[in-house]
Amino acid sequence: MLTFIKMEFLKLKRSKIFLLSILMAALPSVLMFIATFAFDETQSFDALFSTVNMYMSALFAILLFSIIISYLFGREYNEHTLKTMMTVPISRGKFLISKYVMFLIWILILTVVTSISTLAFGFVAGLSGFSLQLFINSFAELLFANILLFLTFSPFVFISLFITNMVPAMVGGATLTLVNLLVLGQSWAPYVPWACPYLISSGEIADYSVSMMIPYGVILATFIIGIAVSYIYFTKKDVPL
Amino acid sequence: MTDYVIETTNLSKRYSENLVVNSIDMHVEKGKIYGLLGKNGAGKTTTMCMLLNLVYPSGGEILLFGKDPKSHTKEVYSNIGSIIETPGFYENLTAYENLEIIAKLRGNYNPLNVKMVLEMVNLDHEKTKQFKDFSLGMKQRLGIAAAIMHNPELLILDEPINGLDPFGIKEIRGLLKKLSCEYGVTILISSHILSEIENIADVIGFMDNGVLIDEISREELHNRLNKFVEFEVSDIDLAVELLNKTGLKENVDYCFRRNLGEYIDDLDSNKNSDGMLIGGTIHLLSNLDLRDEFNSLFVSSGIKVRKVNLCEENLEEFFTRIISNT
Repeated sequence: MLTFIKMEFLKLKRSKIFLLSILMAALPSVLMFIATFAFDETQSFDALFSTVNMYMSALFAILLFSIIISYLFGREYNEHTLKTMMTVPISRGKFLISKYVMFLIWILILTVVTSISTLAFGFVAGLSGFSLQLFINSFAELLFANILLFLTFSPFVFISLFITNMVPAMVGGATLTLVNLLVLGQSWAPYVPWACPYLISSGEIADYSVSMMIPYGVILATFIIGIAVSYIYFTKKDVPL
Repeated sequence: MTDYVIETTNLSKRYSENLVVNSIDMHVEKGKIYGLLGKNGAGKTTTMCMLLNLVYPSGGEILLFGKDPKSHTKEVYSNIGSIIETPGFYENLTAYENLEIIAKLRGNYNPLNVKMVLEMVNLDHEKTKQFKDFSLGMKQRLGIAAAIMHNPELLILDEPINGLDPFGIKEIRGLLKKLSCEYGVTILISSHILSEIENIADVIGFMDNGVLIDEISREELHNRLNKFVEFEVSDIDLAVELLNKTGLKENVDYCFRRNLGEYIDDLDSNKNSDGMLIGGTIHLLSNLDLRDEFNSLFVSSGIKVRKVNLCEENLEEFFTRIISNT
């Protein structure tokens, strides 16, 4: 597994998508930095961190993660490397799980990028109220949200295996971003898997009259269904040439 | 008992209603080069994919190195090198980096080994060029390097010379022969280029419409190729009349065709009363040992014999014949 993950990093060498994902992870903080000056939006670190976390975990991350996951799986089809990997040989189950773990590691890197860039832009903007504890809490909140989001992305594994082109995943990601925009604040938001991570991590779930078991159950069910369908599909399907 | 590296029994693959591989019984002996010959769409690639576990069979059994690959997956496939159609590599990486990934995943990475194999396929000087900038020939050579890098006992190569220039083809052919002769590597190679298979294979499997029509050793093939004697004569009608008089039958013991046009002028042949040329070619299909006597008969009857050749059917003609017989 460790070798596989290392090789996944080697595969990203000279890859523009990795750099692009880093830039996209920093985008919410860049936008908030601009908003600080343009619209006098954020006055303190506390407000900056919570706004960036909201934009990232409820909106940006959905689109960004859908691009990453479709790239991770789709490139093996588009560059015809899946047949090479399978004849190494690598077990299909191990391949699937290793890729998904790589997706998690990528997410962790992006979480760090978002938090560090928010911190940096906050200092550049000269915001007040910084404390290490605030930063740690904000980072932990984003990390938790992104890990929960990671779990809800297992259906995207299936989509990436089924339609190897990146476009459907991107369309799906954009659609879910819009869905999140529409449902946040609605009473049925805790039943939408991709809205739950933000609601749980930010504590906003307390404003909804549902048991905490509901959003966790929705996330877990999405994860299990996504992984099971992806595994069955990938292990039963012939490798395309 | 023959030691088979690949053995299949009733191996089949069906895509909905389309049976693309139909009950194949293939036998590839250890240390031999087995050429799988067939037209495009004959089922060669699908068969190879099933052997490599890339495509699941709809029926039948596969034994690799005498073992069921389903229950000895790692053990069996670690010992196989392969190329299926165009080799797939990561486009943003160099040849070395691509091989490094494969070697590390196989658990046998050795930088010297990677360099050596790149040298063997003449890619050692391409240190910074990314795979996406490779020519088709270079891609194919990298595919061969990846296939032989771990010193496998079996190579499964689907159209490995696609995209190679004549010099590259000669090099790869030499390499494969060396691997087979000196290192005892068993090779299953497919191609639709008959001359290539003829040049390299010890055994040839003929496939058409998903069926393995026949498996023939090089020696056996030689015996089964039709032989005939070709006479080029100045008076075809008279020559045919003479053959009929000796009791030979047209289309059974011989066949002929008239030559028209300037070709016959070279023969200095006669013309009939209508001014038509009457030279031609006779293929004697039986009584080949009597070719001297037939030649004397023609000459003594005033027929000029331009050419007498003992010919052998080529692989293309043989392939066409066995396909049309099925």
